[in-house]
Formats: sequence, structure tokens, C-alpha cells
Amino acid sequence: MSVVPFRRLIHWLLLIAFCVPLAQAQADDRDRGEAIVGTLGTMGSDTMAGLMLRWGEALVRRHPGIRLQLQASGSASAPPALVAGTTRLGPMSRPMSDAERHAFVARHGYPPRELTVARDALVVVVHRHNPLAGLGRRELDAVFSDTRRCGAPAAIRDWQALGVDWPEGRIRLHGRNAASGTQALFRRVALCSGLFRPAVNEHPGSAAVVAAVAEDPRSIGYAGLNHLTSGVKALAHRIDDGTLRAPDPEAVRRGEYALSRDLYLYLNVPPGEALPAPERAFLDLVLSPAGQAVVEELGFVALPEAQRRRQRRALALDDGG
Amino acid sequence: MLDSPPPTAVRRRLRQGRDRLATALITAGGIGVIAALLAIGLFLAVEVVPLFWPSGEASAIHAEALWGGGETAAEDATRHRWAPTATLTSGEAPRISLVPLAWGTLEAAAWALAIAVPLALGAAAHSSLFMSRRLRSRLKPTLELMEALPGVVVGFVAGLVLAPWVERHLAEVVACLVLLVPGLLLAGGLRSRLPARWREALPLGWAGLWLVPWLALVLAASVWLAPWLEALAFDGDLRRFLELRLGLDIAVRNALIVGAAMGFAVMPSIYALAEDALSGVPASLAEGAQALGATRWQTLWRVVLPAASPGIFSAVMIGAGRAVGETMIVLMASGNAALMTLNPLDGLRSLAATIAIELPEAGPGGVHYQLLLLAALALFVFTFLVNTLAELVRTRLRRRYRRLGGGS
Repeated sequence: MSVVPFRRLIHWLLLIAFCVPLAQAQADDRDRGEAIVGTLGTMGSDTMAGLMLRWGEALVRRHPGIRLQLQASGSASAPPALVAGTTRLGPMSRPMSDAERHAFVARHGYPPRELTVARDALVVVVHRHNPLAGLGRRELDAVFSDTRRCGAPAAIRDWQALGVDWPEGRIRLHGRNAASGTQALFRRVALCSGLFRPAVNEHPGSAAVVAAVAEDPRSIGYAGLNHLTSGVKALAHRIDDGTLRAPDPEAVRRGEYALSRDLYLYLNVPPGEALPAPERAFLDLVLSPAGQAVVEELGFVALPEAQRRRQRRALALDDGG
Repeated sequence: MLDSPPPTAVRRRLRQGRDRLATALITAGGIGVIAALLAIGLFLAVEVVPLFWPSGEASAIHAEALWGGGETAAEDATRHRWAPTATLTSGEAPRISLVPLAWGTLEAAAWALAIAVPLALGAAAHSSLFMSRRLRSRLKPTLELMEALPGVVVGFVAGLVLAPWVERHLAEVVACLVLLVPGLLLAGGLRSRLPARWREALPLGWAGLWLVPWLALVLAASVWLAPWLEALAFDGDLRRFLELRLGLDIAVRNALIVGAAMGFAVMPSIYALAEDALSGVPASLAEGAQALGATRWQTLWRVVLPAASPGIFSAVMIGAGRAVGETMIVLMASGNAALMTLNPLDGLRSLAATIAIELPEAGPGGVHYQLLLLAALALFVFTFLVNTLAELVRTRLRRRYRRLGGGS
């Protein structure tokens, strides 16, 4: 069960636990590689907290002189920190809103630089014994919302209406809390920006959604792809011509699976100026094959090769990877 | 080494100085607490002001949107809706009604009190008047230990262990609840019919102990009877009966689970305060009543309870205050679905849980953030009012019963 304040506490603990061996690593590894010394501070998404931490670890292994200060308090915390200048790197699991972008430009005089560093997908999950194979957007909307903006003729409240006969009775709904990027994405794509039914149980983390669905055969929920467990079954997404698109990494990478999103890093870098060395080394790592392997390990989806190379070129990173 | 005591004048000055210091510290502490309380209220109020009187071009929020239904589009069946993130940024009519959250808070507190108050007061009355002194001296610390259990732990157990279990064994739980009271009455009836020799082996003061195996027996019997009960009265499946026949929604994490968990959490404090109040009633009162021919029951009901009523009332009110403000239990044991139903098997969402979940992700200074602080202000004012009311009623009752020499 992950509850936001506790998860945050764990992030802090991880951070602290991680900084201690750093000091030692620094001592014995100093001779290896070019000596980049400095502090890398980031502030932002907690979906990406694990990702940032693993990248940070790999970075320090390469450059023992770098100290990390990774804070994860939600995507909404990144823009204020970037605007105030307390950090140069803001990981976000959603694109910056216009208001946030305007605030940045008003303060610094140039727009923030946006990098796509990984792809993520939402999966609609049901109990592992549920016979249902997939749902289309209209059905999802009819199940989860009471505004039905995707054009479903009637609300769906029972499993029978979805054409399965095993879990009988009411469908129980689970989802993420309001103010999470996960909920916002699901609302935009699956509900056509409509409103959720109040009966949706709101959980403070994707892991809690998956756990709730796994314990109750009559439930359905949505969660981040990287939280899938064997207790639940991920439903495919049915597109308009009736074919099913399973949320496998290849489909997510090609953009064929509708409920997917990009994960971003926002940079504060004045035009014409080079990035400070620690930030540059970090981006070099993130956009390298090794960095993208970390993405896959954590259950996210790596960037398409062409996009990765394009972004490397745009940042004028030497093409080592 | 000088062994002679200091002159008395010096000693007196010293003691006076120490007294003055202590007085100053205590006064400072008291003023500090009051100032902190005022500062919290003031901070919340100041942060909330821009909601209603914005400085820039932002439009003010109408009180109607917060407490009334707001403008309901034709497509939307839900009148009171809390959807700040969805509607505040998209240019739609804001759907930011705090009503479902306030409803959830009160519903959870009401169920918690409905479960905790009878149990806690019954336990307090029994242990202060009927229970043997030795058993009481063991029981009281144990119950007070229950209070030390953190809300997260209670919420965790209720939400992740109890709720799914109750959902799977709904019929057994209902059977236990239905058969518990008749089972206890049966125990009383049987005891009075026992031969005197046996009855002495089961003294009333130790009922708390010898009733335990009997209770276990009753619970086992109701678990055993549950399938029959289900087949007989509910077509073989209670859950289906409730859902399909009565049209009730059943959520795994529902108001009753929250009530049970929070009832468990507030029970020890209600018990402790009520027990103190009841024990504080002078023995002479109860003895006098019994000497005049009142039974124990009449003594309890007519003499001791009224005399202790100020203390009991404040015990219940303190329990209510805690139930309204409790966060983690509601957050973890309810599904946080902002529903407004009277159905105790449906979910709910409280103000405190909403603040805990959403505040970290609401940008400081934004409308959503201010709304959450408004919710906090509402909670603050509410608990403040409840406590003030409790204190007022308590002092009035105490004045009325002082003649009797009643407890605090």
C-alpha cells in the first residue's frame, strides 16, 4: 500500500541511504573518467522517482564526483522549482501546461527546453480470472464516467452489459486520485475529458489500484503499466475498427496503444549557453542505450531509436551511443 | 565545605524567584498554545481569502459552487461533485462542491460513534460499577494501550485485511451481529436459572472473563448457522440479494468498515474518560440509593449516570472530535469515492483524506490549493465548534449536578 506521504518519506530515505555510499564511492573511484564535480538537483514527478533514482545511481557510478539531490513530490512541483531557479531539471509525467510555461517565460525570458525521456502507458486492469479481452473507448467511458462524452448511448453499470457472464452484478471502479497525472491522462483519452462517476474509488497510488482489483473479481481499474502484477489482467484497447491493441511495449513505442504518454524532463537552459557539466552528463546517460535499458527494467517503455538520436543531436551530445 | 543553610531571607527570595519563573513558563506555555491555535486559523483564513476576493483578473468562486450544486450540465446526473482538477483548468463550469466531502466526514464520524459510544459507555458502566476491582485494574491499562495504536496501522488492517475478508464472508458477519445480542441475553437468563452453587462460580464481577468462551461459542454457532440463514432468507447469496433485489451498491471499503475501524480507534478514549467520570461519582450516592431499596440497575440509570453525565458527555464529544479529524483510517479504509448516500455499504470520502491525498499535488497558490485549505478551515472551525459546545454543555451540566457531588 503506498500512501503519498509515506511514499515520499521512502523516497527521502532512499535518497539518504543512497548518498552515504556515494561518499565512499567518491573516494576510491576518483581516478576513473573525466572528473565532473558538482551537484545535480532535480524536482518533480513521483511517477518518475524510481527512474530518476536509477539514472542518478548510474550517473554517480560513471562520475563519482557528482552529488545528487533528487526530490519527487509530484509533477506539479517541477514548474515552480524551475521558475524559481532552485533546479535546472524538472521531471514531469505530463506536458507543462500553458500557464506553467508562461510563468517560466515571464521569469527567465526564454521557454523551457522539453525532452522526452521515456514512454509510459496506462493499462485497464481486471481480476486475473475475468474473461473479458478488451474494451473500446466508448465502453470505458460508459463504465467510468457519467457524462459519456465519447458518445456511448447508455451507462454501463453491470458486468452483463459488457457481454461477460462470470463476474455478475455491479462493476466496481478503481482509479487514481484527482491531481495525479495518471488520472488526468485517463480522463482525457478514455473519458473524452468528461467527468468520472463519483463511485470511482480513488487510490493514492497505482500499486494500490492493482491490489484492490486483484482482491475483488468484480472490479475494474486503471494503473501505470509498470505496476502490473500477476493478480490482475491487463485489458487490450479496442480501436474503432474492432481490432484489439494489447499494451505491449512495441505498441506503446509506436504510439498504437491509445492510453500511452510521454515522460518528460524540462530543462532550464538559456539559449546559446551550454549546460553545466553534471546536467549534461546526466542527459548523456539518459539518452544513451544504457539509460534506456534502465527505462525498460523499471517497466516503462524506451524511446524509439530515431527519437533518441534526434534528441541527442539537438542537445549536441557527442554521439557515443 | 560550607554546611550552614543560607539565611532564611535568601532562601525565601530564591523560592519566590523559582515560583515566579515557573508561573512565567506556564503562562507562556498557555499563551503559546492559544497563539498557535489562532495563528493556524488565521493562516488558513488568509490563504483562503483570494478564493472569494481575487486580486488579479481571476474570477471569484461563488459560495454557491462550494456548498450548492453549481451549474449542472444536462449530460451530468451528479449534482454535488468534487472534481477540481478536471474542471478548474479546462474552462468548464467549476465543479467544486465540498458537500460530498463534508457528508463523507460526518457519515464516517456518525458510524464510528454509533459503534464506539454504546460499547465504550457500556464497558465504562460495567467496569466502574459491576466489575471486580482486580479485573478492572488489568482491563483499564489494556484498553488504554489500544489508544496508542497509530491510525495508519488501524487503517491498514481495516482496509487491506478486514474489508476484503468481510466482503467475502458477509453472511457470517451479519449472522454474528444478529446473534450476538440474543446470545448475551441468553447467557444472563441461563445464569439466573443456575443452581446457587454454580452461580457462585460465575460471579458477576468476573463476567468480563467467563463470558469470553461463551461469546466464542455464540460466534462459532453463528458462523455455522450463516449458510442456512443465507439460504433461508436471502436466496442463498446475501451479496447478490442486496445488490440485485434491493439495488444496493456494495463497496469493499465502505462506510461500515470505516466506522468499525474508527470506532475501534476512538473507543479507548471515550471509555477512559467515561470510566473516570463514573468512578468519580461518590460512593455515598450509590450506596445511599441502594440503601433506599434501589436495585443496581436503578442506581446506575437514575443516580450514577446523571451525576456523571457532564464527564460522559465530554467523553463522547472528544470522541466525535477525533472521529471528524481522523485522516489515515478514513483514507485507507474507505475507497475515497465522493458519494452521498445513506447506504452504509457504499464508499465515502472525507475532507481530511482529500486534503492528505490532493494537497501534495496541488500547486501552492492555485485555486485547487486554496480550496483544500478552505476544506481544512472548515474542519478546523467544525472541531472548534464541537469542542466549544462540549465545554459549554459540560459546565452547565456540572453546575446542575454539583449539588449531588457529581464527577467532573
